[in-house]
Order: sequence, then C-alpha cells, then structure tokens
Amino acid sequence: MMQEKLSALVIHDIKNSLALLESDLEQLNHRADAPEEARKAYQRCIELKNRLIGFLTLYKHEHAGLKPNISEVELFEFMEDLVSGSQSAMIASRHGHAIEVCVADLGIRIAPEVRRKGVASLDVYLVDLAIESALNNAVRYAASKVDIWFEQDTDRLTFFVFDDGPGPTRTGNAAQEASPGKPASTGLGLSLCKAVTEAHGGGSVALSDAPGGALFTMAFNIAG
Amino acid sequence: MQDRTDANSMANVIAGKQEAFESEYIRFDALTALVIDDIGAMRHALRSQLQWMGMNSIKVAGDAQEALQQVEANHYDLILCDYNLNKTTSGQHFLEYLRSERLLSAKTIFVMVTAEAEYAYVANAVEFSPDDYILKPCPEKKLRARLERLFDRRNFLLPALAAMDDGNYLQVVSECDRLMTLVSNERWLLAALKLKAEALLSLNDTTDLLKTYEQALALRDNVPWVKIGIARARMLLNEPDAAEEMAGQIVAENPSYVAAYELLAEIRRMQKDEEGAYQLMEQSAKILPTAKRFRSNAESAFLLGKLDEAKQYAESAIRLSNGSITERPDDYLSLAHIQTDLGDPQGAIHTLEKNARRFEEKGAYGISRNAILAQAYFDAGDKAAAKRLLERAQRLLTPESGSSALNLIGKAAFKMGDSVLGLKMLTQAVQSSGLERERIARHVTKSMIDTGQHDKVEEVIDAGQRRVLALVDEARKSMHVAQFDAAYRKVLDALAIQSDNIEALFAAAQLHLLWLKQEGIDDDVQERAKSYLAVLDKLVPHNEKVMGFYRFYDQLTGA
Repeated sequence: MMQEKLSALVIHDIKNSLALLESDLEQLNHRADAPEEARKAYQRCIELKNRLIGFLTLYKHEHAGLKPNISEVELFEFMEDLVSGSQSAMIASRHGHAIEVCVADLGIRIAPEVRRKGVASLDVYLVDLAIESALNNAVRYAASKVDIWFEQDTDRLTFFVFDDGPGPTRTGNAAQEASPGKPASTGLGLSLCKAVTEAHGGGSVALSDAPGGALFTMAFNIAG
Repeated sequence: MQDRTDANSMANVIAGKQEAFESEYIRFDALTALVIDDIGAMRHALRSQLQWMGMNSIKVAGDAQEALQQVEANHYDLILCDYNLNKTTSGQHFLEYLRSERLLSAKTIFVMVTAEAEYAYVANAVEFSPDDYILKPCPEKKLRARLERLFDRRNFLLPALAAMDDGNYLQVVSECDRLMTLVSNERWLLAALKLKAEALLSLNDTTDLLKTYEQALALRDNVPWVKIGIARARMLLNEPDAAEEMAGQIVAENPSYVAAYELLAEIRRMQKDEEGAYQLMEQSAKILPTAKRFRSNAESAFLLGKLDEAKQYAESAIRLSNGSITERPDDYLSLAHIQTDLGDPQGAIHTLEKNARRFEEKGAYGISRNAILAQAYFDAGDKAAAKRLLERAQRLLTPESGSSALNLIGKAAFKMGDSVLGLKMLTQAVQSSGLERERIARHVTKSMIDTGQHDKVEEVIDAGQRRVLALVDEARKSMHVAQFDAAYRKVLDALAIQSDNIEALFAAAQLHLLWLKQEGIDDDVQERAKSYLAVLDKLVPHNEKVMGFYRFYDQLTGA
C-alpha cells in the first residue's frame, strides 16, 4: 500500500518536473540565439514525456481499465488541431530537411449513410495521445512527408497515418496487429493505440507496408 | 474548417510558413489576457506562449483573490485559469463565482487549464462550464490553434455577445437569428443557438426556447447541453414527465453529468418531493463538491430534519470556502443554528463567538447571529444573556432586514416564551419574503413546529396567501403555453385577493410582456404591462428582475 502511494507521488513529481522542463526548453528554443543542442534537448524531453505518458496510460489500462471521457468531436477540426499542435510534426526533421505533416483532405471519406457526418463520440485526449504516438513513429521514418486522414462509416471510424519512408518490413517494425499482452516491436506505440481503441469499445490497430511507404490504421467500432 | 484556412495551409504553417498565422482572422496583438496559476513557472510559461502569439497586454495572478481584483478592474478578452489554484479555491469555484456574480463579460473567453488526472473530474458538465479546456503541458502551437478557433467563434458572435452584456436579450435573439443565416458551419450554428436559448431563458420565453433547443437537437443529438435544454424547456412548459424522462436519459448515458442531477432535483421540487430533490443534490455534490452545493444541501437536510447530515454539509461548506472568495459568514450561522437544534448550545456559541468572530456584527448577519446566540444561551441556562442578545437582535432590525433574520428572531422569541414577538416576527417573515416565499415558509413552519406552535402554523403561513399562490401557479402554466387570456384571468383573481402580492405582480408583468412579444403590440396590453411594472418598481425598487422587465418592455415597444 505504502509502495503504491510512494510510486504515485514519485510519478506525479516526475511528470510535473518534466512539464516544467519542457516549458523551459520551449522558451529557450524561442530565443533567436538558441543553439542546436537546445532543439535536441527539447526534442528528447518531449519524447521522454510522451513515453512516460504512454506508459502510464497503458499501466492504467491494464490495472484499472481506461475510462474514456467521451465528448462530441468535430473530426475535421480535431485533425487540424492534431496536426497544428503535434510536437512530433513540429520537431520532425531528417538530415536537416523538414518533414511536411498534412491532413490529406482528398483521403477523407464519409459514407453517405453516416448520420452524423464528420462528428464522432470520442475521448479527445486519448485519441490525440494515440495518433500523436503514431505520428511520432511516422515522422521518424518518413522521407519527406506524412499524411493523416480519416474514413467514417456507419459502424466504424478509421484514422490513417501514411509516411513515405521505407515501410515497416524494411525498418524492422512489426507489420502484425498488436494484441493485448503482446506488445509490438515498435514498443509502446501500437499497444497504446490498441488500449485506446479498447477503451472506446473495441476496434483494430495495424501498421503495414503500403505503396510508397508505411500505413498505420486505427479503427474504432463506433457508430457514425 | 469550411470557413477558415484549410487543413493543408495549416500544415504549411507548421512546416515553418509563419506568415499564414498573421492572417486577418485573429489579431492577437489587440487582445488582453489574464493568466491565473499558483505556480510561478507555469504562469511564466503560459504568459510567454501568449506573447509569442503577439499578445502584449497580459496580466498574471497567483490566486483567485488577486485574479478577482484584476477581473473587477479590467476587461479581458481571454482568461487562462489553472484548475488547481490552491487548497481552498479551484478554477471551477472561481469560474462559478465569476458567472454567478455576473462579473464575466459574455465576450470574455474563459479557458480552464488542467492536468490530465484532473480532466475527468472537471469535465463533468455543470451549469457554469468554461469555453474550453486545455490539458497541460500544452505546446504553444496547440494552444494557438485552440485560441484561434475560440476567437473565430467569438468574433462571429460578437454583436450578439455585446447585446448579451447590455442585457438586451431581444436583440441577442434577433442577432443570433441573423448570424445563423450567414454560415453553414454547424459548430458556429450550435454556438449561436446556445446563446439564443440563454437569451430566451432570460426573457422567460418558453415556447421559442423549446423550438431553439429542438433546432440544436436536429444538428447534434448527442450534446448534453442540448438535451438538458430540452428537459428544462419541458419543465418550464409544465411537462414534468417529459422533462424527467429526458434528464433521466442523460443521467443513464452519462452518470457524472452534474447538470442533469440538478435539473432532476428541480423537477422533484416542482412536484413537491423535497426528499427526492435532496437525494439528487447529494449525488451532485458527491460528483462535484463545491461550497455552494454543500451550503444548499445543508439547508435542505436541515429543513427535512436530518440534522446530523445538515451539520456535516455546513461544516464542509465552511471547510471548502474558508479563506477563499466563496467564503460566507452565513455558513457559520447555518452551522450554529443546526448545532442549537442538535442540543449542542456550547458548540453553537463556540462557532459564532470564536470561529466567526472576524465577521462584523451588522445587518442581517448581526441580527441572525444574536438571535441564534440568544437561543443557545437560553438552552445553556443563561437566561439573562439570552434576553440581552434577543434585545440586541431586535435593535439591529430595519425594514430591509430580510425574512431569514426575522425568522430567527421569531424562533428565539417563541423558545424564550415571548409568543407575541414570535408571532409578529414570523408573520412578517412570511409577508416580506417576496419571491423566496416558498423557501421562507418552510423555514417558518419548521421554526413553529420546533417551538411547539403547531396550532398557529396555518395562521402565520396564511391560507389566503396559498390560494393566491395557487392562482399564480396556474397563470404561469397558461402563460407558458401562450394562453394569455386564461393566464390574465388567473392573475386578476390572485390580485383581487391580495393586490400587492409580489409574485402575482411579477407573473402579471411577465405575462403582458410575453403577450406583446408573441402577438404584437396592442394598446391595452401595453398599457397594462406598463402599469404592472410601475407598481413593481414601487414595491421592490432597484430589483434586477424588474429592471430586466423594463428593458424587455423598452425593446418591445421601441421606447
């Protein structure tokens, strides 16, 4: 009991300290004379924070079950905010070239039978967390761009993240679907996404090769 | 998205094309902001983020007290408030306080900043919800995207929001109707419908209210405020069963939605089921404990005779508000009153003479304090002190003292054997209770039963008055379904029994205003509306509701 309390306190402390460190580094990076090391430190800090939050979310999922805070989400706006606020997108760079992260409007498809078009009942925080982790993975392997979009059907909502990198087979990332209790080789990412879909009542998560790159899909079994 | 930059240009911005943010949409440099956080580093971080967006006029506050001074002294376009302010005041308390005291302009955007662990707790929809929540740490780009969206919506609604600030509800309604013809963005349409519904509620225009919520329901059938709105409109239209069904449905789908419990409690109260209402309010206080909820539960428990529970709630209200902006000396009065009734006069004396000694002995508080202390000293056997205190309470009495204070003097007098004074005070308490009549009548009834005056309850509460109130109630029901002639007949019957009955006069004025609004200007109706308003203005000068009626009247008649 004592140990549990102590761990909770320590974790809380680490999270707070990381948040403060992140904001210090964000400020440092806003200075015109910020050195390259500051950018790297900021990037590391964000990755560390995301890993910690991902781990804690999974821990909660396995020990107490994630309880989603469902609200009505405008999917277009959600995607815009996701991309514009994505730290992975912001710090994405490879060999000094910026990776362009876009909402691929052309990919968005809403089935005509869907009653509430472009609207879904989701926990924005959890879904943001999951897609951000997929984006993080995508920008790491992308050559020049990452596209995200969604498809809405009457019984299913699917998010897609495409990167024009070498694809999971060649990068050694698992192509198979992640399953509970069996974390994928990408680490926390896919398991976290799986946990988030389960918290919403089920769905599926996959990362696979696609023409010209890698495609991540996360589907929620929710009525549209 | 339809009305703004498209998603790809947004992505270009992230890729470094900063100029796209310097759009004509939001001029951040022209906006004022207040950042409230108890941790200096977080305050600094949020201020920096706003500065990076171009905001120059940013004030910071470390606690609610400081923030309150800022809000009272300046107008802010944006308030960013940390949820976890300190032990006594949360961001939610602060927001509830600002909204209930009408200190916040409709144009001000209030954003609650929360940690992930708190989010589930604060996102339970309540009567006073912020415009948005952001989870911390929130990187600047994300914050900027959220604020742009919020200010876009605010700018769209600006004419209606300005009318709301002026209390010009009729104009709010017409502006919202106009704005809704300009856009197809459902989110903005919903925001306009929500604002229109608020204005209609202020106008007591129940028929249009239901229509407005139904329009919103056609856009979104799963938004809790829309469902609550429909349930509330049904309740006002005197369809408690339909209202209850809707509210029950919300609770079933979303068991932590506080506003639904509170509406259900109102329905129970309407059905005279005080016990049922209390149980629902208990649930709501469990989900979202605030001093205001504890305070109201303490009163309900007290009136139901559940003194132990009342004591716990009163103590919780004091504990939660102690040293904060929501602190109220009346909480100590409630606790001491309950302690006296529980047979603990020493506890009551301690509460008022020790714990509440910092409050000045004046006004209604001074009267009530002395009246409760008189009872406590009497119970403790010090008759001389009790007599002195009761006299002191009487000396502080003025014509504006209020029914609660009169009730406490009356109870003390009966307890100490002065039934002439007791009867006089309690009768006055009921007569001067105005719109609080029902509540005060319950208190007075309890005071009389507790002091063994069962046989005089009828006399004091006045059976004639009951007939007046029943007629007013029937008039309201007819008015809400636009049967103005029938409503008018009931009001006339009520005023024939008691020509200066405040509730009957309020109903008469409201009825005539709605009549003018729904059926157009009619000279007779207009003349009568004017005369009822004049009588009310004389009987209850400076009353906010009467002022609102006057504004409504001026708008309707173009005065």
